[in-house]
Amino acid sequence: MGSFRLGIAGMRGEIPSLTPELAINFASALGTYLEGETVVVGRDTRISSPMLYRSVISALMSCGCDVIDAGIISAPEIHYLVPELKAKGGLLISAGHHPMGWNALIPIMENGANFVKVKLQEVLDIYNSKRFLMANWDEIGKIKIPPKNVQEGYLDMLCSKLDVKAIASKNFMVIADFCNGSGTSIGVKFANRLGLNLLSLNGANSGQLPHDPEPRPRAALQTHSVLKPLKGDIGFVFNSDMSRTSIVTSSGETLSEEYTFPLVLEHILQKSNKKIKVVTNWCTTKSLDDIVKKYDAKIYKTIVGESSIIDKMNEVSADIAGDGSGSVAFSNHILGYDNLLVMGLILEAMTTQQCSSEELAASIPRYHIIKKAIKCPSSHGYNAIKELKNVFTDAEVIEEDGFLFKWKGGWVHLRSSMTEPIIRMIAEFKSKEKAEDVSTQIRGLLDRYI
Amino acid sequence: MRIHNLKVSVSGVRGVVGDTLSPNLIANFAAAFGEYVGKGRIIVGRDTRPTGEMYENAVVAGLLSVGCQPILIGIVPTPTVQILVESNKAKGGICITASHNPEEWNALKFIGASGIFLNLREAAELLNIYNQPDRVYVEESEIRKARVIENAFDIQKKKIFNQIDIDVIRKSKIKVAVDCCNGAGAPYSKDFLEYLGCEVYPVFDKIDGRFERKPEPIPENLTELSRVVKEKGCAIGFAQDPDADRIVVMDSSGNAIGEQLSVVLATEHLLSKTPGPVVVNIQTTKSIDAVAERYNSKLYHTPVGEINVTSKMLEVGAVIGGEGGSGGVIWPALHPCRDSFTGMALILEMMASRNKSLEDILDTIPKYYSAGEKIPCSAGKAVEVIRLLSAKYADASPNLIDGLRLDWDDSWMLLRASNTEPIIRIFAEALTQKKANELVEKFVKELNDIE
Repeated sequence: MGSFRLGIAGMRGEIPSLTPELAINFASALGTYLEGETVVVGRDTRISSPMLYRSVISALMSCGCDVIDAGIISAPEIHYLVPELKAKGGLLISAGHHPMGWNALIPIMENGANFVKVKLQEVLDIYNSKRFLMANWDEIGKIKIPPKNVQEGYLDMLCSKLDVKAIASKNFMVIADFCNGSGTSIGVKFANRLGLNLLSLNGANSGQLPHDPEPRPRAALQTHSVLKPLKGDIGFVFNSDMSRTSIVTSSGETLSEEYTFPLVLEHILQKSNKKIKVVTNWCTTKSLDDIVKKYDAKIYKTIVGESSIIDKMNEVSADIAGDGSGSVAFSNHILGYDNLLVMGLILEAMTTQQCSSEELAASIPRYHIIKKAIKCPSSHGYNAIKELKNVFTDAEVIEEDGFLFKWKGGWVHLRSSMTEPIIRMIAEFKSKEKAEDVSTQIRGLLDRYI
Repeated sequence: MRIHNLKVSVSGVRGVVGDTLSPNLIANFAAAFGEYVGKGRIIVGRDTRPTGEMYENAVVAGLLSVGCQPILIGIVPTPTVQILVESNKAKGGICITASHNPEEWNALKFIGASGIFLNLREAAELLNIYNQPDRVYVEESEIRKARVIENAFDIQKKKIFNQIDIDVIRKSKIKVAVDCCNGAGAPYSKDFLEYLGCEVYPVFDKIDGRFERKPEPIPENLTELSRVVKEKGCAIGFAQDPDADRIVVMDSSGNAIGEQLSVVLATEHLLSKTPGPVVVNIQTTKSIDAVAERYNSKLYHTPVGEINVTSKMLEVGAVIGGEGGSGGVIWPALHPCRDSFTGMALILEMMASRNKSLEDILDTIPKYYSAGEKIPCSAGKAVEVIRLLSAKYADASPNLIDGLRLDWDDSWMLLRASNTEPIIRIFAEALTQKKANELVEKFVKELNDIE
């Protein structure tokens, strides 16, 4: 089974399919595209990250790019850093939600956002041509260190979007699971700014994943087990680079990561008195549509992937964007998912609404969601899904991104993953039974097709 | 015509930055080396070239990918890498240096577990692994963490100081100028000599890797050192190449006495204390013969190349050896490698313990004058030439281990075909310049007479 992907989400793969050679070629293509200008390079804590980091630094220097060595850094920080340091681009080595053994090279544009499709296509064309810029010996790039105060600058920016004083007055007891990833350092500092009583779990920079890094409910076991005995106000489970979050409430309920975005959105809509524009993808919970309807906001939908979401947010001048993986981005902020701000806003919601996290969770519409990753070779995925069109003839079908089958009581979304050799299925229905029935039926059908 | 400036050969990989020597090639070679020596510690050092850091990153990536643990020792002389491989019981070492090549070049030199360069057979095996279409990359869980060792040179320095008479050198307070060519010797040479009580005048001791003179330490490139030696009244001058394995000596009047005499001086000194076998390469001056004879020591000749000399030295238990033609001094008591610091320490110890000037010591050694020429000659013809001439001059003890060397009582001659160009080089030494020139002319004629 293939464990390597090159496309809109950058270069991703399982070690050792993702080799130094491929990383060098990818970074050389980026350095060539950026014409030898300055690039910010950062990485997460995964065990293979230093190897890939060394590879891309060497490649970028060879293209003549000066490299700003940001070291271990979370995803939101590098989205902040690239425009802040006036670099021409960035490259983040970070496996995010991928399981142990995986890694990814994520190229970042001058404005701090992930590469959009058309521009990444140019990089990939260079990658395929293998004709890379090679600077002469006296013009190769140099390694530079970012200024010391950049992390503080980012924290200032985060705090400027929040009522820090009010949050701090609450002295919240917060459990945060950083998944031994790159978010620990910034997360702890941010918690200090917010005056939190923070218990951080899995806060080592070891890259040894304590659990599945996708912040699904099953990843929240540790947070869940300490939250009630410690009388925690709320628990946050982050992926390994702070781009996805799920929440454990004070009652000990682990919320699906689908509800992270609706919770933040509800708070933003309550705070604002203008007509808010919201961007999400085709397979995010209906809870979100319900909230948008309730506040008479406007919703735009696009295909799955951070770069499409951010691109759409820019295109329609939306105020907020996010998806069902527990990721949220904000306008007039960094151009990428920022789950530090997610944490801040949820705490602010609890503060201003004078409610517990349990009550906050109860205030949004809930559905029954089943998410499944069905192993499937990339080559088979598309056709297998297409076959289902002939089965669900009673559903409304939206083919913007994979296949979305809609019925009155719920929907099913099927999509071949851009980052892994799997079909992602999301089924959401009002009733638990219906959700389980439909997802079981689909699994059975897909097993037959694959 | 495009000139191909990449050399992937048994002596490693060498090429021009920005043209042929890509990070991928280097990472790939480092990975192949890691596969060859096995998962374990690999010492990685580099010279001062501005491109060193880029290739160091590629080397580390390559080593990590095959499960090795790179131990980074930063900017150090090549011998330091060799010594650290031994002292750290590492699986091997990689030195990122193009030695005496100009700045636009860089290269990898490969060192085996014993701390000496890969020999021909080992290098061929490495090359075979490199040429395999697939690398054996490890899974993520087997990837190691790179480590850094600061002050690696201290280990080498201590090793040298433990084996020489520091006190006697210190008492002499010798005035020394040292030309580091802004290379890997630059961060260390001044301190090293000052520790020996010398009054030191450094020349080109920046570590930016911008060579302010041509990197080969041959007399015509050492005019600045010569000026400083004369101006400051130094008793001796030393010149290193960019990776500080070679050493060339300059007398107090500012004359570079040539790359040949470094090993001769070190040999004179060591044999006067403990006679024993001497090993030099075949293009080493005949002066060494006189020194070996004086101390009843056996002299061995080897093909050119450090690994050939060190292998023979280990085999015969040599007390000293080296490469005349390239200023290489090898003292196995320290480590079987060329080392400029060893060369400097031994020569200073000799001056101090004998309480004599460099000139006085040189006066006791027969002086040979040299001459050379290169002639266009195909590889096939070179073989034929050497076969014919070795038969014709059978009474001049022909030595065929590397080209053809002929020896007479007071002169000698070497014919060697180049490995890289269709030429043959003639080199000769005699007791007068005139005789040396005549010897070269004679063999140019011999060559031209052979169809």
